[in-house]
Amino acid sequence: MRKAAKLVSYLCVAALAVCGLGACNNDANNDKDDDTKNPSTSTPGGDDTTGMSGEIYVISREESSGTRSAFTEILEIIDADGNDATVATAEVTNSTGVMLTTVAGNDKAIGYVSLGSLNDTVKALSVDGVEATADNIKNNTYPVSRPFVMAYKEAEASDLAKDFIAYVMSSQGQAIIAEESYIAADESAEEYTASGLSGSLSIEGSTSVGPVMEILAEAYMELNPDANITVTQDGSGTGITAAIDGGCDIAISSRALKEEEAAELTPVTIATDGIAVIVNTENSIDSLTSEQIKEIFLGNITEWDELN
Amino acid sequence: MLKLKSKEKLFKMLFCLCAFVSAAAVALICIFMFANGFPAMAENGFFKFLFGEEWRPTAGQFGILPMITGSICVTAGAIIFGVPLGLMCAIFLAGFCPKKLYKVLKPAIDLLAGIPSVVYGYFGLMAIVPIMQDIFGGNGKGILTASILLGFMILPTIISVSEASLRAVPNAYYEGSLALGATHEQSMFKTVFPAAGSGIFAGVILGIGRAIGETMAVAMVAGNSAIFPDSLTSNVRTLTTNIILEMGYATGLHRQMLIATGVVLFIFILIINLCFSMLKRKGGKAQ
Amino acid sequence: MTANASVNTAKKDLHLGSKLLKIAVWVSGAIVASLFVILVAFILIKGIPNLSLDLFAWKHTTKNMSMMPAIFNTVEMVLLTLLIAVPIGVLAAVYMVEYAKKGSKIVAVVRLTTETLQGIPSIIFGLFGMLIFVYSFEWGKTMMAGVMTLVLMILPVIIRTTEEALLAVPDSYREGSFSLGAGKVRTVFRIVMPAAVPGILSGIILATGRIFGETAALVFTSGTSIGRTFTGDPTGPGCTLAVYLYILWNEGLYTEQAYAVSVVLLVLTIGINALSSYLAKKVGKKNG
Repeated sequence: MRKAAKLVSYLCVAALAVCGLGACNNDANNDKDDDTKNPSTSTPGGDDTTGMSGEIYVISREESSGTRSAFTEILEIIDADGNDATVATAEVTNSTGVMLTTVAGNDKAIGYVSLGSLNDTVKALSVDGVEATADNIKNNTYPVSRPFVMAYKEAEASDLAKDFIAYVMSSQGQAIIAEESYIAADESAEEYTASGLSGSLSIEGSTSVGPVMEILAEAYMELNPDANITVTQDGSGTGITAAIDGGCDIAISSRALKEEEAAELTPVTIATDGIAVIVNTENSIDSLTSEQIKEIFLGNITEWDELN
Repeated sequence: MLKLKSKEKLFKMLFCLCAFVSAAAVALICIFMFANGFPAMAENGFFKFLFGEEWRPTAGQFGILPMITGSICVTAGAIIFGVPLGLMCAIFLAGFCPKKLYKVLKPAIDLLAGIPSVVYGYFGLMAIVPIMQDIFGGNGKGILTASILLGFMILPTIISVSEASLRAVPNAYYEGSLALGATHEQSMFKTVFPAAGSGIFAGVILGIGRAIGETMAVAMVAGNSAIFPDSLTSNVRTLTTNIILEMGYATGLHRQMLIATGVVLFIFILIINLCFSMLKRKGGKAQ
Repeated sequence: MTANASVNTAKKDLHLGSKLLKIAVWVSGAIVASLFVILVAFILIKGIPNLSLDLFAWKHTTKNMSMMPAIFNTVEMVLLTLLIAVPIGVLAAVYMVEYAKKGSKIVAVVRLTTETLQGIPSIIFGLFGMLIFVYSFEWGKTMMAGVMTLVLMILPVIIRTTEEALLAVPDSYREGSFSLGAGKVRTVFRIVMPAAVPGILSGIILATGRIFGETAALVFTSGTSIGRTFTGDPTGPGCTLAVYLYILWNEGLYTEQAYAVSVVLLVLTIGINALSSYLAKKVGKKNG
């Protein structure tokens, strides 16, 4: 009896372990598969006739996040009063990582991420037939984009703060921005020469702008080794509030400043970021109109069938 | 001699002062949370806040009833998954586990308690969500997934507290039961287990507190839609995830409403804590 | 108990209900064990291939995403937190055990509040820390704000374990000391405390483990900035390893590195747990 019980439990352990590891490995394999057969290169036209079916799983960012407000404003996902009206049943996440993982693991999901965070585990849709690329945003054909802003208190800004902004807006700074697949604000910027300033500078705000700001800060500190810049990523709202309250020197924001905020801070638009609408790589749909995307996020289109 | 006495007194004062730090901390937390939360709640209307069914910050609608429901559903789910398993496992450890296995299993369970919740969250997202997706279709997130993950996460708490109280039951209970002809299993389940009742219950309540307060892991697997769940696989947002999701971008009234959400959660926790202390006191007297 | 068990089960093997119960407890033990195996395997399988020397470079850049500053931030955070929390917690426990009279109101209040503190979820601590240290005291998101928040979080753990350790010291120690003419303070510091040290240490290690894994409370208080090198400045921002892990995953840009960080965290947690059980064993030997 004792032996039998032991045997049963060991078997259970083994079975569960195999299941669990299987699940992990499946994911790993899927990732690899996705890499190799990324359909963006050539999707047979025949796919469209078989089409997608089933319910659409809408994934959105958290309310008032920079990415979400830009997305809903541009695509007019709003109610009669002009307020965000993303369908309430949509999944919500505050993390680009969760967004990408979820869409990569669910063939019926649709979501959106910043162009700079896009990777090949998911597929970016064309909007109104225009691909989500830097060039298309530059020539204003890709509709979904938003500004990246640095904002500071004009009266209290240190020389270092001004010099760093000057660096970001210089040809070197703008080149880094372009390299990270954002769209530089000023193509014909002048070259920056190191000022050799010292001191410390704290930058706080958007998690979307954060990663590129880290790179910019690093490059700046290589030119001006005495300067010390820290970048804290905790959301546009927090950064702007902190800049107004004096909690940090420069706020970074992934949305334009609101009126009451602009009254206190001086904004500098340093780049433009596209927002890519993403679906699973298995999804046969490559392009949607902005009207269709709007209806999906409003909850009026709920089945993939309706899009074929 | 006088000097010595005053020194003694001085130290006694110092010790007493230190003892009051935790009391002061609790008082401070209460004051700060309530002072920051209540005015905002009043501004929005208590009733509209607590029983409002819509959470749309950009439209100025702050109703947290869906989140309260969500917290309750997910916690109830965690109890269903975690408590029976945890109690059985505690009985296993206390009465059935061979010594060699115990030496491995006990540290393993302690380790489970030490793994950061972010790791649990990602584990849920990568391992549990795909399985749920296969079984139930849909996005694989929601009440059920969050409940299972939380059930796992509260296991170490429930197991270690219950095991300790099972072991604290005097051996005479067990031996008496055996002497009356009961089997080992019967003695464990019908004599020792009820005798450890209040301690075990305290462990369960502690687990519930953990479940209702868990944030990072739930945010990754619950789907976080601010709606009333209509099925087990429906997306759900809890009080904790409401705070962590939106705090970063919130300003003005929205931010205050999130703090108010924290206040509501805090009140829930205080009630649970009170139950816990009362049960413990009762248990202490019984023994 | 287990020794008795084998004798008895052999005798009464025929009872069906007992058999089922036995299977049930074994299965639940097995499920918990397998859960552990799966979780650890998940972390190791995903993480070990992503471990690289780059991740341990002294200087953090966006190219190597080194976790070194975060590791040192964690150590600093632990040390500072313990530096503040341990004296307060230990002295509070001394008062509760050595000074307060049995059934005193003070003890009841302190015990109730300590329990309450222990039950408060970390996100509430995070909000509170943000409101008081970051905004009211205008410290900004700094290591110090994180440290103070953590002090409140681990205080109950320290008080509780110290109390238990002090209670375990036999009364004969105290009586012996008193009869030799030592004062109360002297007795406490010279006789009782040394005997309770291993127990207190295991409480400290338990608290350390909690700090290692903490995210929700620190995201709001000590900020999410990793900095380029470890500066050790408590008035500057600094994220711990667990917070770093959270950021890496949140942005979705550095998932591989995140897996590697979770392996390092797991190893640290195992180390801490091993240390605490070693100390616990030492206590057990001393008292038993």
